[in-house]
Amino acid sequence: MSYRKLLGATALTLFAGLAAAAYPDRELTGVIMWGAGGATDVVARAVAPHAEAALGKKVVLVNKSGGTGAISTNFVNNAPADGYTLLYGAENPQLHQVLGIADFGYEKFYPVNVLGRGVAVIVVAKDAPWNSVKDFVEDAKKRPGKLKMGSTGPGGLPHTIGSMLNSVTKFQVISVPFDDESPDLTALMGGHVDMMPVGSGAATESIKAGRLKALSVIDTEPLPLQGFPNIPPITKEYPEFGKYLPWGPFYGIWVKRDTPEDVKATLTKAFKTAADNAQFQTLMKDRGNVMMNVSGAEADAFLKKWQSVTSWVLQDVGAAKVSPEKFGIPRP
Amino acid sequence: MSEALSYFFMSWTDPYLLFLTAAGTFAGIYIGAIPGLSVTMAVSILISFTFKWHVNEALALIAGIYLGGVYGGSRSAILLNIPGAPAAIATALDGYPLAQRGEAGVAIGLTTVVSVLGGFIGIIALAVAAPQLSKLSLLFAPRDYLLLAIWGILLVGSLSGESMAKGVFAGAVGVLLGMVGLDPLTAEGRFTFGSIQLTGGIPYVAAMIGFFGVAEVLVQLHHLGVTPVKQNVSKILPSWALMRKYLPLGLRCSSIGVVIGALPGAGGDIAALMAYDHAKRTTRNPSRPFGEGAYEGLVAPESANNAAVGGAYIPMLTLGIPGDAVTAVIIGALYIHGLKPGPMMLIETPHLFWFCVGNLTLANIFLLPMGLSGIRIFAKIVETPKPILLPLILVLSAVGTYAIQNNPVDIYWMLGFGVFGYFLKMYGFQVGPVILGIILGPLMDVSYRRAMISTGDDPLAFLGEFFTAPISAVLVVALAVTILSQTSLWRALTGRGGGAKAPAI
Repeated sequence: MSYRKLLGATALTLFAGLAAAAYPDRELTGVIMWGAGGATDVVARAVAPHAEAALGKKVVLVNKSGGTGAISTNFVNNAPADGYTLLYGAENPQLHQVLGIADFGYEKFYPVNVLGRGVAVIVVAKDAPWNSVKDFVEDAKKRPGKLKMGSTGPGGLPHTIGSMLNSVTKFQVISVPFDDESPDLTALMGGHVDMMPVGSGAATESIKAGRLKALSVIDTEPLPLQGFPNIPPITKEYPEFGKYLPWGPFYGIWVKRDTPEDVKATLTKAFKTAADNAQFQTLMKDRGNVMMNVSGAEADAFLKKWQSVTSWVLQDVGAAKVSPEKFGIPRP
Repeated sequence: MSEALSYFFMSWTDPYLLFLTAAGTFAGIYIGAIPGLSVTMAVSILISFTFKWHVNEALALIAGIYLGGVYGGSRSAILLNIPGAPAAIATALDGYPLAQRGEAGVAIGLTTVVSVLGGFIGIIALAVAAPQLSKLSLLFAPRDYLLLAIWGILLVGSLSGESMAKGVFAGAVGVLLGMVGLDPLTAEGRFTFGSIQLTGGIPYVAAMIGFFGVAEVLVQLHHLGVTPVKQNVSKILPSWALMRKYLPLGLRCSSIGVVIGALPGAGGDIAALMAYDHAKRTTRNPSRPFGEGAYEGLVAPESANNAAVGGAYIPMLTLGIPGDAVTAVIIGALYIHGLKPGPMMLIETPHLFWFCVGNLTLANIFLLPMGLSGIRIFAKIVETPKPILLPLILVLSAVGTYAIQNNPVDIYWMLGFGVFGYFLKMYGFQVGPVILGIILGPLMDVSYRRAMISTGDDPLAFLGEFFTAPISAVLVVALAVTILSQTSLWRALTGRGGGAKAPAI
C-alpha cells in the first residue's frame, strides 16, 4: 500500500507539469441554462454525446434554469476556471446587462463553440387577410392598437423582431406575452393573436400543413421549404432591415475566460468534431437552425455584434432598463 | 386499418420493446414516488442516453416512465404525506389520513385501479378524438384559463379545515409566494430584493416538499411515543361493488383530466386539483368526510392525473405542441431521432401515432400488476418506528429538493417552508391552500393580464368577451352554478341539502 502511495506521489510530482495535458481526467459538468425540453436543452443534449466521444469522458448535464439564464451564468462564473464546468447557453446573457438582470454577459466566458443560430419567420393564421409583412403593417397603421402580436416578453425573440420592424417602419400593435413559443403558437392557431415572429423550427411544419401562413423570414436570403414556395426575406419588403441581420437566437458552449489555453484548445477541438457530426447537423437543420460551428475570436466577434445590435434596438424602443452605453456596448 | 393495428401492437409483439415498456413503467413508479425526482428530469436524461437507439425503443421507454411516474407520485403522498409530484398533491389530502388509519394497503390498491382506469380513458380519447380535442384546446383563450384558475381556486373553500378565514389567508400566502420572481409578462423583478437567486422565483416543488413533508415530520415529533397504527393489508384490491360505485366519478374525473391535460397551459397537477374539487362538490355522501380519508378523494385526482397523460399527447402528436413539461421533452427527443414534430407528423408518419397509442396502452396494462405488487411491503413503511422514519423522511426531502435543479438554495427554502408550515398547522391553518395558491396564483395573474392586454386594456370589452365567446360563456355558467350550488338559497330551491354536510365555514 505504502509502495503504491509512494509511486503515486512520485508520478504526481513527475507528471504535475503534464497534468493539464491529460485534461480531461475526470467527468465534466455541463450546466444548461434553460429547462428540460427547451430549445437550448435539446441542442445541448444532442451535441453532448458526440463531444463525449471526442473528449473520452462523460459530460454530466444539469438544467439550472431561472433568471432567464442568470442562475447558470452565475454558477459557472463562480466555479473554478479549470474547464470542468461547461455552460450550455443561448443568446440571453448578451441582454442581461441592458435588461438589468445581471451586470455581465458572455464577455466573462470563452466561446468554446457557437453551434448555430436560429432563423425567425413572421407567421399569421392560415385564413388571415394579410399576404405580406407590408399588408400587415399597413393594416396596423390604419387601425393602431387593434391588431395583436404574440410575444414572449421583453428581450424575447418576437419582441426584439417587433422592435426592429418598428424602428424601420412605425406601427402600433398590442403585444400579448406568453410563456414561450408553444402557447404562443397555440394562441395564433386559435385566433387569439393575429401575428407573431417565431423561430422557424417551431413553425415550418405548421406552415407545410397549412395551419399557418408565413409572411417573411428574418434574413437576407429566402427560406426554402421542401415542396412549398420559398418564404421571402424581410429585406425584400424592407431593405433597411438588413442592418440588423443576421439576427436570431443562438446556442453554444462556453467556459470561463481565464481557463488555461491548452484546456480551451482541447475543448474547442472536441466540440468542433461534435458539431461536424452528421446526425447533429441534421437535427440543427430540422429545427430550423443555421450551423455556425465557430469558436474563439470569430465567435467573439459574432457575439459582440449581436449584443450591440440587439441592445441598441431595445434601448431605442424604450425596452432597455439600463442604457447599453453604461456597459460600453457600442452603437452598431 | 390493418396497418394501424400492426403499429398499435408493435410494442406488444416485439420482445425488446415489450421489455423496455415494462422496465420504463417499473422505473417510472419509483422515480415518481421520490419527491423531487420528476418524470421530466428522467425523460430528459434519457434523451442523451437513447440518441443512438431506434426512435420506437426510446418512445417505448419514455411512455412507460411517463405513465408509471404520474402514478408513482401517489405512493409517497399516501405513505408519507409528501406528494412525489405536484400531480399527487390532492392525493395526499385523503390518502395520508387513510394510511394513518391503517388503510394504506387499500388506499394504494384503489389508487392503482383508478389510475389505470384514468389512463385508459386518456388513451381512448387520444385514439378516437385527438383531432377534435386538439381543436378544442386551440379555442381556449387567455380569459378561459383565467376562468379555469378561478374555478380551481374555489377549492380553497374545501381545503380550509376548521376556519374559512384561515384557509383564505393560507391561500393568499401561496399566491404571494407564487408572485416572487421575474414578472412573466414584463420581466420586471417582483419581491426579488435585488437577489439573482430570487429572480427564478420560489421553486414550488421545494415549497410542496417543505409544507407537506417537513411540516408533517415536525408535527409528528409531538407524538413520538405513539405507536404507529397497524396496517391492515389483508385486502388490497377494492371490491367490485366499490369499483362499480366509484366508476361514474372516475369517468367524470378522467374526462376533466383529458381536457385539462390537452390544454398547453395546464397539466396533471391542475387536473388533479380540479377533479378533487369536483368530487368534493358532487359527492353527497362520501365514505368519510373529505380530508379524513374519503375514498372519493383518491379516486378523483388519481383518475384525472393519469387521464391527463393521454390528454397531453394529443396536442403533441396532432400539432407538435407540448401539452405539458414531459411532452415538451418528448418533442425534443423526436427531433433528436430525426422526426419533425408538427401537424405534418400525422400525415407523413401516421404509424408513429398508432405506435404511441399502442405503447401507452401497454404501459397502462403493466401499471396494474406493478402498482399492486409490493403493497404489503410498502404499507409497512407507515409502521416503521418514528425515530427511524422521521429522519429518513427529512433526508429524502433534502435529497429530493436538491434534485429539482441542483441548487442548494432550494434546500433552505424547503426547510424554511417546513418550519413555517409547522407553525401554520399548530395554529389550525391548513397547508393545502398554500400550495393551491402557489400553483394557481401565477396562472390567474398571467391569464387575467393577457386577457386584459388582448382587449387593449378595455374593461368593457374584457367583460363582454366572457359572454360572447362560446367556451368562456360555458365556463362562466359552470362557474356560476358551482358557486350558487354552495349557497343555502340553492339548497332551499332544490330541496337537497338537508342531509348534505355543510361546508366548513
